[in-house]
Amino acid sequence: MDGNGTNGKGSRPGAARLAFLIPLAGFLVLAGFASIALLATLRGERDMTRLPSAMVGKPAPTAALPDLRDADGTVSAADFAGRPFLVNVFASWCAPCRAEAPALARLAEEIDILGIAYKDRPEDTNGFLATYGDPFAAIGVDRDGDTGMRWGVYGVPETFVINADGIITYRHAGPIDRRVLDEELRPAMRGAKIGVAE
Amino acid sequence: MITELGHFALILAFVTSVAISVLPLVGLRRRIAVFAALAAPATLVMAGAVFISFAALLYAFIISDFSVALVASHSHSTKPLIYKISGTWGNHEGSLLLWIVILALFAAILAAGGRGMDAALKIRTLAVQAMVTAGFLAFCLFTSNPFARLDSAPLHGRGLNPILQDPGLALHPPTLYLGYVGLSMGFAFAVAGLIEGRIDRDWARHMRPWVSAAWCALTAGIALGSWWAYYELGWGGWWFWDPVENASLMPWLAATALLHSTIVVEQRGTLKSWTVLLAILAFSLSLVGTFIVRSGLLTSVHSFASDPARGVFILGILLAAVGVPLMLFALRGPRLASRADFDLLSRESGLILNNFLLTASTVVVLVGTFYPLALEMVSGARITVGPPYFDATFNPIMGALVAAMAFGPVMAWRRGTLPATRGVAMAAVIGALLLAAGMAALAGGIGVAGLAGLALLGWLACGISADIWHRLKPFSPGTGRRAAALPAPVWGMWTAHAGMVVFLIGALGSGLFQTEVVVRATPGQSIDVAGKTMTLRRVEARQGPNYVTETAILELRDGTDILAVMTPEKRFYTAERQTTTEAAIRPRLTGDDYAVLGDGDDATGYTLRLYRKPFVSWIWGGAGMMALGGAIAALGRRRRAPVVQPPAALQAPAE
Repeated sequence: MDGNGTNGKGSRPGAARLAFLIPLAGFLVLAGFASIALLATLRGERDMTRLPSAMVGKPAPTAALPDLRDADGTVSAADFAGRPFLVNVFASWCAPCRAEAPALARLAEEIDILGIAYKDRPEDTNGFLATYGDPFAAIGVDRDGDTGMRWGVYGVPETFVINADGIITYRHAGPIDRRVLDEELRPAMRGAKIGVAE
Repeated sequence: MITELGHFALILAFVTSVAISVLPLVGLRRRIAVFAALAAPATLVMAGAVFISFAALLYAFIISDFSVALVASHSHSTKPLIYKISGTWGNHEGSLLLWIVILALFAAILAAGGRGMDAALKIRTLAVQAMVTAGFLAFCLFTSNPFARLDSAPLHGRGLNPILQDPGLALHPPTLYLGYVGLSMGFAFAVAGLIEGRIDRDWARHMRPWVSAAWCALTAGIALGSWWAYYELGWGGWWFWDPVENASLMPWLAATALLHSTIVVEQRGTLKSWTVLLAILAFSLSLVGTFIVRSGLLTSVHSFASDPARGVFILGILLAAVGVPLMLFALRGPRLASRADFDLLSRESGLILNNFLLTASTVVVLVGTFYPLALEMVSGARITVGPPYFDATFNPIMGALVAAMAFGPVMAWRRGTLPATRGVAMAAVIGALLLAAGMAALAGGIGVAGLAGLALLGWLACGISADIWHRLKPFSPGTGRRAAALPAPVWGMWTAHAGMVVFLIGALGSGLFQTEVVVRATPGQSIDVAGKTMTLRRVEARQGPNYVTETAILELRDGTDILAVMTPEKRFYTAERQTTTEAAIRPRLTGDDYAVLGDGDDATGYTLRLYRKPFVSWIWGGAGMMALGGAIAALGRRRRAPVVQPPAALQAPAE
């Protein structure tokens, strides 16, 4: 019980006064600690919210997929080699994919988007595209989710930026909203040496 | 339109709260009566604006206005109405606004009431409360605006985390916040007292109901959270030593200590500086709790929003709200020193022991919560300190506290005598021996720690009973008169302490005598669980309002009688694409039967986790009694403190 009764005897007033500083000192130590940890979190050195992006910096998977628009044809990331492009993994059963449809439509004016219909029936995918618009340069059908796994997809929607050398430079998990578009995706596209018309 | 009105009201509240933080204090110092008199009416205006703001957000959630970003990302048109309403605070921005609503509510109650309170103390307390409110309003407006609009409104919204779609969620956060935020009143009283440089018995008398009320709500809130985790998470436990749980336990422990030390200030006018420090620490720990949950510093199963950028703002609030009062404490605290005039055997010593043990346990939880973070800073390894640490440190301290609980209330102020406690001591020893020996003989296989727990349970139960018996003397005339003469806080104390006994019955019963069976079962198979039989009949698909399920049909039999059909579920929420587990629970006074359905199919069987948990519901019953005790102490009529101190003693510390 520092600071109470017994040390009010007046024999060592200095020591008693110092005791009242203990809580402040203790707090400052703890607060300093929390600040350091928080700054590290902010700098991204200890990031708990972002998902591990093992695929960033690696070549984009180029395995061929059945083409949604042409039952006999195939599509592959290799078709886009030599120029930067986006890959968007989506599905008709995915509500956030509806939310990001306007953003994708805007992006389609600037860059090619390869769509991967993830674990979806082609007729459902077509219905979805008819309702919410079709921003895609090509659409591959990934019925069993195999290709999604190759891309390291953990859910839909996910969007990847691939540069002219076929290297994945950026990955976003979750729907593209205004903030993601302006603050993350467009800078990433610029980073992939894409002239973006604003 | 209504959304913009809500936003505007929030801005108005912020401006008003800044004014209340400054003008009345200037008014008191410079003797400008108009400024000083502003505090109470302006607080009512601020609270009104906050309420309007919250109502606007509630409205947006109820009508599913998906042009509001918060509604779009946290609600869904197919969700039942109750969860649209609870969705208002099932997210970061909304829960922050709810936090502010409660801050304003408490301030308004004090502004409208506070009768018999020293006018200057009331004004300063309102000013400090407004400072806290202003900090949170700024946080809300500048980093977490709940009223932000979307460019284009989506069709359905992204839903609410399914695990949060539960009646428990509708109640748990508001109750917990009442407790967290209620501690802000103790904090405001303490800082107001420090600013004034004067803490006296009257100060304690007016602060105590607020602390009791906050403690009551905090107890109920933690109990609801634990109950929710028990039936919703489906892990079979009721307390996981998770950082978010610890974040609510730490202020509770500090508030419990504060509740007891305030009694000493009120009754004896001593222990002032310690009480002031506790009041500051208790609310600081509430803020730390908020900080933990929202900054992403620690990972947890419970937190629903974490954003390090917001963490910086909260850290700023924390530095100001804790650092400045502690600085004030370092400067003014020494002036509050009071004469210590009591024996080793006295109620004062008992309460100091109580405070020491509760503070030690707070530190233990604090270390256990932050040690992993510290270790990660040093070594980079990410670990969690699990139940073994807390079992080894927290439980013994609580054991000592329970041991002391039987005696504290029996001691007299200033000078206790041994004869007065002899009856209680004998009863406690007999109770401890009977229960521990009895259980060891009956059940067997109970470890030393378990036996010690049982002995303490018997000790406390008999100690408290002996005290009540001694005070009421049920077999001699005048019991009714004696009962009526007892002040409300005594009844509150007995209720809360008896609640501890009930809680221990639940904690020890389920902890020591639980049966757990994990099997892979095909339809038709029967499993023995603690003498009863569970038969898996089939697993069927069912359709809920916004989810589909796999539901297991389990028959619980005792011999040949069917006791119940239990239906544990795995729910798949279609909008959110998330799976949750719904445990099937058959709660009875003597224990719960608890079943959880895991993965599997008809051919290879399903994983089932089946439990028998003796007396587990007593845990929440006991917590409920503690909360009730707090409510009785907060609301009940109290007798005035018997001795009125002379005015001279109010001015200067008796020295």
